[in-house]
Amino acid sequence: MWQKNKPYLLLFPAIGTIVLLFFGGLFDGFLKSLGYFPALDQKDFNFTAYRELFRSSEFWESLILTLRVAFLSSLFAAVLGAIIAIFLFMMKESTNGSNSSIWYRLFQLPLTIPHLVGGYIIVLLFMQSGFLSRIATNLGFIETISEFPVLVNDSFGWGIILTYAWKEAPFISLMIYPVLSRIHSSWRDVSRVFGASRWNYVREIVIPVMMPAWTIATFIVFVFTFSAFEVPFLLGVTYPSTLPVYSYQLYTSGTLADRPEALAVNIILASFTVLLGLVVYAVNKRWNALKGWD
Amino acid sequence: MKPQLFIKISLSLLVFLLMFLPFIPLILSSLSFGWQWPAIIPDSISFRAWDYVLFGSSGTWQAVGVSLLIALIVTIINILLAVPAANALVRNSFRGKWLMEAIIFAPIIIPPFVAVMGIHLTFLKLGLTETIVGVVLAHLSPTLPYMVRAIMISYQTLSVDWEDQARMLGAGPVSRFTLVVLPHLLPGIVAGASLSILISLSQYLITFIIGSGQVVTLSILLFPFISGGDPAIASAYSLLFAGMAIMTLFGLDVLLKKYYQQKKAVTNKG
Repeated sequence: MWQKNKPYLLLFPAIGTIVLLFFGGLFDGFLKSLGYFPALDQKDFNFTAYRELFRSSEFWESLILTLRVAFLSSLFAAVLGAIIAIFLFMMKESTNGSNSSIWYRLFQLPLTIPHLVGGYIIVLLFMQSGFLSRIATNLGFIETISEFPVLVNDSFGWGIILTYAWKEAPFISLMIYPVLSRIHSSWRDVSRVFGASRWNYVREIVIPVMMPAWTIATFIVFVFTFSAFEVPFLLGVTYPSTLPVYSYQLYTSGTLADRPEALAVNIILASFTVLLGLVVYAVNKRWNALKGWD
Repeated sequence: MKPQLFIKISLSLLVFLLMFLPFIPLILSSLSFGWQWPAIIPDSISFRAWDYVLFGSSGTWQAVGVSLLIALIVTIINILLAVPAANALVRNSFRGKWLMEAIIFAPIIIPPFVAVMGIHLTFLKLGLTETIVGVVLAHLSPTLPYMVRAIMISYQTLSVDWEDQARMLGAGPVSRFTLVVLPHLLPGIVAGASLSILISLSQYLITFIIGSGQVVTLSILLFPFISGGDPAIASAYSLLFAGMAIMTLFGLDVLLKKYYQQKKAVTNKG
């Protein structure tokens, strides 16, 4: 009896906490998105909030912006992350592993920076009177502040994209580097015997090996940037705003009537991330991505 | 030799562009006093912002204390919840295991603020808003999955044979856990604690919703400054905040190394 129930008992505290605080919150939010507010004597269910949302152009613009920002952020982070990982790997190979761990640690720095600080760093660098604009002026590329492109608090979302590309690239390299470091150094020698140049070797061996882990890591970054709040709140504009910011604006707008709509945005957002999460799970299972191969 | 030099130069350039350059304006701005465009270096250096942040009556240290207190309580609760859970998930196969894993790891995929916004009114009714307890409860679900994951990795390399061996030598359940299991899990616990602290420290939205602005952590204190406040003070706060996160991780790393050194010394003596 004890042996059979032991795993459930051991799991109970953790599962209970998540079910109560997390799924309870999701369910609570779902009921309220259907207009169920017992405290306000509203006890019937309706889809008004969802219908209103799908009818408003603000929601659709917000969705498009969110998808665009998440797509471009994860794309840039993926490319930059892969470059870092490949250089680290080549460094390790050419020095037989000594002192490459210092480099590896250096690149983890942006991961430890809180998102709000990361966003502010991008503000100081890229705003029209920012550091890069000052450098460009002193080098004679531009003459007035307004000649520098608007990259922060812009309606396209460049500031958000830049922040995520910078902050998530180390995450991507962190996910693919362990797979790369399983490549045996003798493989390079074999490829050389067959006359492969360094570039051939990278293209034919290194990139295919890291492909599954790379895809998964990029997907994770996409899901994260799709649903993150802090950076778009700081670096975006009020209209159009990304879905999490839009939900927050509705929630804090002051009128209680907007709250079901805010919670409806949240439920849509959550369903979307669950869907993406299932894709990640399936891909990982199919490819055994994070280990590389068996 | 030539390609190696190329790799080294490229890596150095990447490190400079990604790790050093972004921090230069932050540091300069925190030391500036009216930094006119297009000067690259501020005309006059002033410690006014740092003076305000560190010694002024700005509530900085209270916010640092509140942030660390919340992160610490969250992390301790996480360890207590995660060790048995990780044990069950790694060492047993049972019915519904996939569901248990799905439940525990769901907050990694579904943004936690969705759950927090949903539960907000219930917390309000229970009197948990505007309290540290409420904020701690809100921080649990975004951090717990990472703690479970980290400890699971440690459990995967801990064979049951070791505990059986200790049992044969007469160790009871308590000493088996403290002398065999816990030391082996320690690196995983420290890794999980680092993540848990880091995530808790950097939360803004869920702290703001549940704390309603009354529980002032460093990110709550920071936000008005970085969204259009005094840039010098915003920069000084940002550096302090980033420094705090890095120092906490560094401190945990040093503690772990020290623990192993001490253990090595003890075993050598024995």
